[in-house]
Amino acid sequence: MLHFAAKRTTTLVIAVVVASFAVFLVPYLTPGDPVRKIIRSRVAGEVIDDSSVRQLSQSLGLDDPLLVQYIRWLRELISGNMGLSFGSRTPVADQVISAMGVTLSLVTAALVLAVVVSLPLGVLSGLRPGSLTDRAVTTVTQALIAVPEYWAAPLLVLVLAVKLTLLPTAGWTDPTSVVLPALTLALRPIAFFTSAVRTGVLDAAAAAHIQAARARGLSARQTVMRHVLPNSLVPVSTLLAVWFAGLLGGSVIVEVIFAIPGMGKLLFDAVVNSDIPLAQGGVVVVVALAVAVTTLADFIHRFLTKTVGGPVA
Amino acid sequence: MRKRLTATTLSVLVLVAIVGAVALAPWISPHQSSEQSLSERLAAPSSAHWLGTDHLGRDILSRLLDGGSFSLSVAALATVLTCIVGVGIGILSARRRGWIDELLTRTNDVLLALPEMVVALFIVAALGTGFWPLLLALTVTGWTPFARLARSLTYDVSARGFVDAARVVGCSPRFIIFRHILPHLAGPVLGQATLRFGHLLISVGALSYLGLGVQPPQSDWGSMLAAAQPYADRAPLGILAPGIVIFTVALCVTVIGQRAAHMSAVPLLAPSAEQRTQP
Repeated sequence: MLHFAAKRTTTLVIAVVVASFAVFLVPYLTPGDPVRKIIRSRVAGEVIDDSSVRQLSQSLGLDDPLLVQYIRWLRELISGNMGLSFGSRTPVADQVISAMGVTLSLVTAALVLAVVVSLPLGVLSGLRPGSLTDRAVTTVTQALIAVPEYWAAPLLVLVLAVKLTLLPTAGWTDPTSVVLPALTLALRPIAFFTSAVRTGVLDAAAAAHIQAARARGLSARQTVMRHVLPNSLVPVSTLLAVWFAGLLGGSVIVEVIFAIPGMGKLLFDAVVNSDIPLAQGGVVVVVALAVAVTTLADFIHRFLTKTVGGPVA
Repeated sequence: MRKRLTATTLSVLVLVAIVGAVALAPWISPHQSSEQSLSERLAAPSSAHWLGTDHLGRDILSRLLDGGSFSLSVAALATVLTCIVGVGIGILSARRRGWIDELLTRTNDVLLALPEMVVALFIVAALGTGFWPLLLALTVTGWTPFARLARSLTYDVSARGFVDAARVVGCSPRFIIFRHILPHLAGPVLGQATLRFGHLLISVGALSYLGLGVQPPQSDWGSMLAAAQPYADRAPLGILAPGIVIFTVALCVTVIGQRAAHMSAVPLLAPSAEQRTQP
């Protein structure tokens, strides 16, 4: 376990270092003078004349070797200084923090929805494998994998928001505005969770302790609630962490479609407007968080497979 | 068994029909895909325009046929590219083992943890929009599943007697890889490739939808969807049609891929010594 933890943590650190170095290089890789771009991300006022550019370049250490500059940049970043956005001229860190809050609540809502939908579906189809219910559930949930979010979202908006006017079409103002984007984001997780719960139930139902529970007189309902369901949650918990990381980056499309001021929208706007400091801060934070959650998922998976015994799908 | 076979056959037929229609677009398309007719904006389906027209009066069917070539070719090319890179890396790590294996597996883990869409956005930000940046964006993170699959299968196959036998009789490593290992990988890799194609097609559409893929006047399915969205309540076919095509293709390849993976999994089922020791 210790060896595993050390290995995983090293991977995590390397991932963040490599990704952040790539992000650091953006001003140098994109067209235009990197020095002016970096000055613009650090100094609030407009700097135009050459002599002050030279002076600032020196005081910011932009003549140092790239590696030295990188370490300085990373240190600033960790202490919360991500520079100034080109667009709004406000600190990137503030924008990233507020956007992250929005995305975290959106992703959480989507995953809660996915679990609530897929648990009963998975149990239902897992308890009667091969039945009509099972086949219907399996077919429909597997088809969900092939549904693009950018198709589901406009259709959901058209039916539920425009025609039936039950929900707002876009925005992030009242609590109901989370429903459609969360539903869109939940579609694919529903497919994977349902299938995982189904497999878990199938495995559990065949296990000896389930047979024993039935034999000592527990009703079918009690057996499912007390023995089958807890066992089938094991694979879901790992999947949950994996999807949490996945949706952090995967919410770009949904946030853009529904005009939600989250990380996805922030990154998209930053790229479209060539707002380098904003893109840098956003990418580093999303990547760090996603990598951390993925590592956590590995630990959960490892822990559960060790204690429960037997492979987890 | 029979039922699955019919679903697979049906998927193949539908897929062939769609790809065929897209390939033949210049000859069978009823209108010029960029031909505007402002008097016929957002028209309902008619004998002249089977699927109606978009907000500039362009024939939706013709645009679907024309736009398919970009979506399908980028997704196909990205699949082939990621497949070759991934399988190559997977075999290399499994055959060389030691620090090379460690390094490549760690790289794989690192890339797997990076959110695909964010990486794609990042690459497009650095290199600009268009065909090649899009392809690169999909390839950088896309090879990892192939490498994982190829690595574990190569480990498996390498532990079998015939690989040792081949080495003993003096076959070169290259011969062993091409003659004994690759044939065992072909089935599962093909299954994986089919599944990945569906995923990549959706990703290409996503990037195009965001305006980071094709540049106008060229169209593809994702950008058609994006353009039609503001007019969805007046002309729902504008978003329905491209969506249904992407969904259908993705669904068909998923069905075919799962079938292929299922079929090819059989001969490899016998657990090898390697598999028993590897957790």
